[in-house]
Amino acid sequence: MGAEAAAALELAGVAKQFGGHAALARTDLAIARGECLVLIGESGSGKSTVLRLLNRLLAPDSGEVRHNGRSIAAVDPVSLRRAIGYVPQDGGLLPHWTVARNVGLVPRLLEWDSSRVEARCAEMLRFVDLDPTAFGRRYPRTLSGGQRQRVAIARALAADPSVVLLDEPFGALDALSRDALRQEFRRWRASLEKTIVLVTHDLTEAFQLGDRVAVLRAGQIEQIATPTELRARPATEYVARLLAVHFAGGVE
Amino acid sequence: MRGRARVWVLAGVLAASVVGATGRVGGQEDGPAKAPARPLVLVSKNFEESRLLAEMFAQLIERETTLSVERRFNLAGTQVCLEAVRTGAADLYPEYTGTGLVSILGLPAETDRAKVLATVRREFAAKWDLVWLAPLGFENSFAIALRQETAQRLGVTTLSGLGPRSKELRAGLGLEFVQRPDGYPGLQETYGLDFGEVRALQHALKYQAAGAGEIDALDVYTTDGEIARHGLVVLDDDRRFFPPYEAAPLVRGATLRAHPEIAVALARLAGVLDETRMRRWNLALQEQTATVEEVAEQALAELGLIDAAVRSTESSARDLGLLPYLWQERAELWGHTLEHLALVLVSLLLAAVVGLPLGIGLERHPRFAEPILRAIGLLQTIPSIALLAFMIPLLGIGARPAIAALFLYALLPIVRNAYVGVSEADPVASDSAWALGMTRGQVLREVRLPLAAPTILAGIRTAAVINVGTATLAAFIGAGGLGVPIVSGIQMANATVILSGALPAAGLALIVDGVLAAIERNVRPKGVRA
Repeated sequence: MGAEAAAALELAGVAKQFGGHAALARTDLAIARGECLVLIGESGSGKSTVLRLLNRLLAPDSGEVRHNGRSIAAVDPVSLRRAIGYVPQDGGLLPHWTVARNVGLVPRLLEWDSSRVEARCAEMLRFVDLDPTAFGRRYPRTLSGGQRQRVAIARALAADPSVVLLDEPFGALDALSRDALRQEFRRWRASLEKTIVLVTHDLTEAFQLGDRVAVLRAGQIEQIATPTELRARPATEYVARLLAVHFAGGVE
Repeated sequence: MRGRARVWVLAGVLAASVVGATGRVGGQEDGPAKAPARPLVLVSKNFEESRLLAEMFAQLIERETTLSVERRFNLAGTQVCLEAVRTGAADLYPEYTGTGLVSILGLPAETDRAKVLATVRREFAAKWDLVWLAPLGFENSFAIALRQETAQRLGVTTLSGLGPRSKELRAGLGLEFVQRPDGYPGLQETYGLDFGEVRALQHALKYQAAGAGEIDALDVYTTDGEIARHGLVVLDDDRRFFPPYEAAPLVRGATLRAHPEIAVALARLAGVLDETRMRRWNLALQEQTATVEEVAEQALAELGLIDAAVRSTESSARDLGLLPYLWQERAELWGHTLEHLALVLVSLLLAAVVGLPLGIGLERHPRFAEPILRAIGLLQTIPSIALLAFMIPLLGIGARPAIAALFLYALLPIVRNAYVGVSEADPVASDSAWALGMTRGQVLREVRLPLAAPTILAGIRTAAVINVGTATLAAFIGAGGLGVPIVSGIQMANATVILSGALPAAGLALIVDGVLAAIERNVRPKGVRA
């Protein structure tokens, strides 16, 4: 595979076990630059494992994880992670830090000078529709769930990473703010050139946000396809049942 | 982080100033009597007669020599006193030859006084370089006593005389005395004693029972003040069944070589005391009509060893209310409070220095957390008195073993809270900081520790309050502190004296708790809910 053809992110024959149980069976997966891939599955399906393999929070038992065609096994994990945005469920903001300090976390780790960090924080807060002067000095616990997620997204994007990983980013929100935030997420995505991997257990979200959707079950990818393709041609009985349950409920 | 550092600076300054002020903490074990600055340390066991004799020694030495004397009375028994002089933590104390032979050397009882004295002198010198000076002239042995009317009715003055009549009598005997071969079983064999009824009673209760006429005969120590109070008749051990318990000063050989004048001063007490006088003086102490200093002074005056005693103007606790007594004793109590605070702070500081890195370090090695916490928890289950006693063979007496024991008690809350606080600090926040590229060290310093600070401080606070309470027991091993008035108050059965130690201790606990609670609020990071 040539350099320009190389996927932004790639799992090549990667497998991961926890205590003798296969969290992820031998898997090949390529994510193109600028693509948004949504991983969907029940808890224990292996979707979070994939995410944690991508930023080396976990090391594979076998196979290779590649960024832009290069194995990440040789890269210093700390600088690797600083170059990847990350948004966990419920934000994962540091409760003892102000909003501004949370947003400036990675730039400060990268030793940007402080005026540049400050300017960037304000810029990012504005990007997620929060007024920097009103919100910068507040502490996370004074924010609503939706505001916390916005701050978490601002924090993930602050150092302008080319890859952003989101682990059930809207999972803990009420239906209205979840929907509002999804809409905005699509808008943000369109304005930025990021490779995105997003984990969810919500099919609506997957279909709304994903260029492609990978359905995981018991450590295996059942099917990976665009939303349209997935709905038209479910590859396995599990995927078919998942779609049936979902659309019978009339959520879309 | 800044808050935490401030706590330790504060604690360190406090500890250093208190240690400096009292000069008590840290061992005095080094250099026996070489440095002129080091006072002669006199210790005693925790009963009246031992304290009285030690005080008499102290006053004689103060009058007859240029040495200064430090008194550390009321140590918890033979074992502690022996360890004190053996290790050099103390220089001398009053001991009994029979105790030396049977309890300390573990040799079989022997009835010949001269032989007992010769044996203990030889063995103590060879084993520990300890010297028995000349006996003081009285014995505090076991004996059998009768109520006066019983003795008159039977016309009995000796144990041989009691033998055939014993069937008619009800006896109250000490719990141990009933069992020991050199107690009742031996008496049965030697004198054919066979009381009609035997009740096993605690020592102090026997006298009450005799006073109430519930028993006719009892075992006594021959110099008990209660014998005089209840007018009991001590029967003559005419076949010399009981081993001799002659009182004598037991002194470190090294101390005597450095200061032979001690032997000269104490020689004036050789052979001049007798059982009748000792009973009278012991009774005066038991009834608290005078302090141990006053009784010792009167005793020495009565023996013609010093000029007639000038009555001290100090009133005893019995005559005064609590508040006037506290006021009168304020200097003394302030000193005890500082000693107490020093014990607590130094042990706490050491426990924090060891416990915080240990607890925080366990976060990375959770495998070891459970066994280590369990091992430290096990230490916590050892009763305080037992733990203090275990420390004596290792560290002697005084502040060192007390601090070691308090250190071990303080360890569990500190290690446990540090471990739990750090490892359970906001898992999502810690994980996201890690995922965004903080190093392990950065996650610990910038996320886990600040979030864990209130929990960590709560552990220190728990340890501090436990230690303020437990440190009152340090008086039993000569470490001073507010336990000193508490222990002597318990022995005198005097609530005022007990409270003069207990109230400041309670106050100290409240203050320490309050200060640490304030610091705890201070280290709680902004933005984190209380």
